[in-house]
Amino acid sequence: MHASDIQGRFPVVGRGTSAVEAARLIAAEHRAGLVIADKKGAPVAVVSAVDVLGLLVPPYVLDDMTLAGVFDEKSAEEVWGQAANRTIGELLDDDGVRIYDLLTVDADATVLEVAAQMADARVQIAMVAGPSGDEPWFVTLPAVMDAILTFCAPPVDKS
Amino acid sequence: MTIQIILALVVFAGAYVFIATEKLPRVMVALVGASLMVIIGATDDHGIFFSEKSGIDWNVIFLLLGMMIIVGILQQSGVFEFLAIWAAKRARGRPFVIMVMLVVITAVLSAFLDNVTTVLLIAPVTLLICDRLAITPVPFLIAEVMASNIGGAATLIGDPPNIIIASRGGLTFNDFVVNIAPIVAILLVVFIGLCWLMFRKQLQYNADRVERVMALNEREAIRDVSLLVTSLIVLALVLAGFILHSLIQLEPSVVALLGAGLLVLLTRLETRKIFADVEWETLLFFAGLFIMVGSLVNLGVIDMVGKAATEAVGSNYFGAATGLLFGSAIFSGIVDNIPYVATLAPLTNDLVQAGGAAAEPLWWALALGADLGGNATAIGASANVVVLGIAARNGHPISFWTFTKYGLIVTAVTVTLCLPYLYLRYFL
Repeated sequence: MHASDIQGRFPVVGRGTSAVEAARLIAAEHRAGLVIADKKGAPVAVVSAVDVLGLLVPPYVLDDMTLAGVFDEKSAEEVWGQAANRTIGELLDDDGVRIYDLLTVDADATVLEVAAQMADARVQIAMVAGPSGDEPWFVTLPAVMDAILTFCAPPVDKS
Repeated sequence: MTIQIILALVVFAGAYVFIATEKLPRVMVALVGASLMVIIGATDDHGIFFSEKSGIDWNVIFLLLGMMIIVGILQQSGVFEFLAIWAAKRARGRPFVIMVMLVVITAVLSAFLDNVTTVLLIAPVTLLICDRLAITPVPFLIAEVMASNIGGAATLIGDPPNIIIASRGGLTFNDFVVNIAPIVAILLVVFIGLCWLMFRKQLQYNADRVERVMALNEREAIRDVSLLVTSLIVLALVLAGFILHSLIQLEPSVVALLGAGLLVLLTRLETRKIFADVEWETLLFFAGLFIMVGSLVNLGVIDMVGKAATEAVGSNYFGAATGLLFGSAIFSGIVDNIPYVATLAPLTNDLVQAGGAAAEPLWWALALGADLGGNATAIGASANVVVLGIAARNGHPISFWTFTKYGLIVTAVTVTLCLPYLYLRYFL
């Protein structure tokens, strides 16, 4: 099995994508992160879902976690409305957020090669190398895990 | 002048330029500068570690370390957030009243905590309150950071330059309270008036939003009541230790370390949490600075400049105090006031030694000028830089010039007011 056998399409977002739109893309397919494109639309980096979650929370609450508790339910719900004003660009500019360079794997790389490279780079998404200009393909952590599990023997029932 | 002295002066001046321009991390500059001083033979291991005159001032380093541990544990209790939200609710959402309460809270806290810690605690809750009131937090943040720089001047532990001055001048916690706290209290009242003049047009009262502030539950901010009670008791004991210095004969650094140890013992927090707020880089920066200044002491440069200054001053100590006050304010507005005071402290000590009691007010002129001068520009104090960063991250950027235009007014007024205070109290 090769990278090309487990590849799939993945949404690519830009600096201007709002935090709410990014959250929708993650929530819709239970994605672990998003791929970020540069100004020309070429995928260049990966941001994890948890960092997008951080973008939805007001920065002052992240600066002082104690404040999360002082909101009543109605006020806490109002806070989410402000997330619409924030964009992925803020994540890219934040020194505290780790933006991973997009890992590229060969289309004919084995699952072991892909798994090793992703584990080493600590990324959940990798781009599959292909002809430039084509819509990019990606392999994701769940796809790699699925592929690995097909080679693993099922657990023996000892009861 | 020998080659060694020329090389040492080049290293010292070069380090100052790099620290002022912030081209490289300041801790790196201080340590490289210290290493170069050793290489050129301006100091050695004995001079660095064991000399009281030219070595690392361990009293300063360990007082800072002890207070960082105590404050780091205390801030986990949520008491500061409680106070700020409580104040906003007592003010019933009226912006200027909230500003006054936050300014007073910040100034008082700054007298006992370092300024950066104070603004790190007060800025997020300020953003929350302003968010609830739908008003701009910019005037509040500027007022708070300036209040922290003013309040920090009041005590020995309020601002790092004061710690250096106290150690070099043999001054006690009570000396600062008696000599500087009164003028700081006056300056705070004047500063509140300035806030009204500078910010009143930006403080719009919005009655519809008041209920959003009143709905905040400040009690939820207190996460651990026993931690809060224990921390406050230990902090009170430490302050009592500072005040009773002449009775118990313990240096402030020892009192702070004992307090930190007691708090660690009583709270049993994880090591990671105990040391989370210790700024190791700052402590190393201080060590590097002391080595560089100590090298100039070893080579006789400080003595030489001190003698020249003593001759120039003669017995005109009011003139010297005026020069120190305004010179320190101007210098501290441009560069970090810590290296400035680390350099000026041995020189001031020479002047005070030569002049006796009549020259002692020079310490207060140096402290007031260096502490208050930090308000002059956006880069005048570490706390200013921290607040500007928080404001930008929260979508309310404060430009260098926005801060500085208010800072220059506040610095000019507060520093000028110190002059009649010094004259009336010490030179009349």
